[in-house]
Amino acid sequence: MPELDRSVLTSSPELPRSRAREILSNQQFLLFVVLIALMTYFYTRNHYFFTVGEFQNIFTDFSGYALLAVGEMFVIVAGGIDLSVGSTVAVSGVLGAWVMNGMMNGHWNQFWVLVVGTIICGIVGAIVGLFNALMITKAKLVPFVATLVTLSAGLGFALLFAQFFNSGQPVGNDPAAAVFSSKAIWVFTYPSIFIIAIVVIAGIVLHLTRYGRYTYAIGSNSFAARAAGINVQRHVGSIYVLSGFLAGLTGMFYFMQLGSGAPTSGDGFELTAIAAVVIGGASLTGGRGRMSGTVLGVFVLTVVTFGLVFINVPPAWTQIVVGGFIALAAALQSLRPSGRKSA
Amino acid sequence: MFDKATEKVYFSDNVVSGGMNGSSPRFMNKGNQMISLKNPKGAMRVAGTMALAGVLSATSLVALGAQTAGASKTYTIAFNVGVTSDPFFLTMRAGATAEAKKLGVNLEWQGNVNYYSPATQLPFLQSALASKPDALIFAPTDTKALEPITNQFVAAGVPVFNVDSGNANQKNIVSWITGNNVQGGQAAADALAKAMNYSASGTYNVVIGVSSVTTSTDAARLAGFKAEIKAKYPKIALKNVFATNSVSATAISDINQALSANPGATGTASGLSGIFAIDGTDAAGAVAALTAKGKLGKVALVGYDAYATSVSQLGKGGFSALIAQQPYLEGQLAVKAAVSYLKNGKSASAAGIMHLNTLANKVLTATTSASVLKKYTYRTK
Repeated sequence: MPELDRSVLTSSPELPRSRAREILSNQQFLLFVVLIALMTYFYTRNHYFFTVGEFQNIFTDFSGYALLAVGEMFVIVAGGIDLSVGSTVAVSGVLGAWVMNGMMNGHWNQFWVLVVGTIICGIVGAIVGLFNALMITKAKLVPFVATLVTLSAGLGFALLFAQFFNSGQPVGNDPAAAVFSSKAIWVFTYPSIFIIAIVVIAGIVLHLTRYGRYTYAIGSNSFAARAAGINVQRHVGSIYVLSGFLAGLTGMFYFMQLGSGAPTSGDGFELTAIAAVVIGGASLTGGRGRMSGTVLGVFVLTVVTFGLVFINVPPAWTQIVVGGFIALAAALQSLRPSGRKSA
Repeated sequence: MFDKATEKVYFSDNVVSGGMNGSSPRFMNKGNQMISLKNPKGAMRVAGTMALAGVLSATSLVALGAQTAGASKTYTIAFNVGVTSDPFFLTMRAGATAEAKKLGVNLEWQGNVNYYSPATQLPFLQSALASKPDALIFAPTDTKALEPITNQFVAAGVPVFNVDSGNANQKNIVSWITGNNVQGGQAAADALAKAMNYSASGTYNVVIGVSSVTTSTDAARLAGFKAEIKAKYPKIALKNVFATNSVSATAISDINQALSANPGATGTASGLSGIFAIDGTDAAGAVAALTAKGKLGKVALVGYDAYATSVSQLGKGGFSALIAQQPYLEGQLAVKAAVSYLKNGKSASAAGIMHLNTLANKVLTATTSASVLKKYTYRTK
């Protein structure tokens, strides 16, 4: 936790800032260059890369990680961490699938099934987030431990529910949802349009509203934020609920992809979300980072992960390349002039 | 990270009750004092769910424990598997439970609910060893890592049986009942070639989805598949083998990539002709991806394991073929072998037990008769 407001340092004119350093420090610009280079490389390996169909795939996969990373972004900017999002995807997907399956057996209209399913998944996610919030703000557990509890227990519940509803197999069978989720306007599938809209709103909230400014303030220095009259406890609690809610919606997204709620969906996704936020330039110590960086981070991870599959590279390499990106992002952060990019 | 001055401690006079085993979730703060939630209303809903789940798991445990039947000597057999939530092992459990009931022995079913790894399996085996069962049947999650604990069982006079997967060193294993995964992979290659209408004039691009290339069963199936196409189908090109770590969502993404990378007509060098989904999660992902892209029935799909949902899609253009194992029979035969061994003075020859009992896989297709489908479909009862 930075004890000093570092913006004071950046604004002092006597600090030397070379031009090269400044370009290097613009992590988003670099990420963008890397992204274009990657895509060009994939194109040279297989010319079908720049097709509408492939970009639909990319935006679909992007959507799966995007909401998790956005929720994680809020948490990380506020100086916390949320490890539970992967399990939240699983538990909300399984419970949502159970409700939707019941509605389908009752011959509800498919549209309303999906609407209610989305609401249920969001609520289940928010409840998991609330549990995190209570453990952190009331029971005073550190976020890492509190969300580790829900990561573990959440997955356990997802498995228990799946066992109870469908003897351990994925719950529900709704192939129409899978078909609907692949319908697209140009490169944007229906779910990805919905999710991109949420990402834009989240960006506006983080950068242009009081809620966002409080988030940065708490992440920079929670003592100062409290002294400035911010209800730190309530704000931090609400961020974990938000992160849970977005993870719940992601559970719905994967239900639609698969046409059923699988307890294994979301396994390990929390690390992908955190990786995207870090690659996007946010600092794990809080108070620093931009939503556009996180969005680029998710995009780079998606293109790397599935682009390598596209050109038939063995899966182990994907992990290594992603690791390389995280190392690069960390190196850039240490190079960067010690100033806050945003507040 | 938060203001220390606001930290409050609430002593446990109104602890939120509920939880897995009726215990109360209590939170330890830095001073190791028991504290409870200040306002437990929000947490109550979660706690309620936890309590419900606790009841559920308790009921299943009671059901499991109720199999003790009266006999001159009631044997207790510890049965330990990789992942208890996997439908494959659930089916095996059903077979083992039925046989145990029939023979009047006590069955202790154990295993990690989700993680297929020796590290998570070992504690269950250690506690089984402490409870001194009459016999141990287990499916090792690693060919080597569980040999030391196996030796401890043998040293304690507990005969050890393998089911499904096996230890690399089979010397001190009484009997190993397993499906033939290499043969399963070969059968999958044959079934896929047939479904793609293989002819020497075409080119057939194929991808395989595996859970993990290091899982012994997946590796054996993959090896069988590769050997078969090398020997019999030179025009089948294996484009990619991707690992999904048992996450169906990843399988969907991977299949989508394979479809986009090979958008041409099936049977040509630029098209995707076939998919071999090596386990259930890959199969579910492949079906979802093909359904969404309108390619179901156009791209040949061979799956492994006869899950009920997969079998129901056989006739409807979903799966071209399924390679069915016999987990129910594996469970039954393993318990039968163990009891027979115990009743015949711990002599394998007297009990008539084979050291290695390999059960054939069955290829299920749309033309398979309903009765055969029913026989091979995995069930949990």
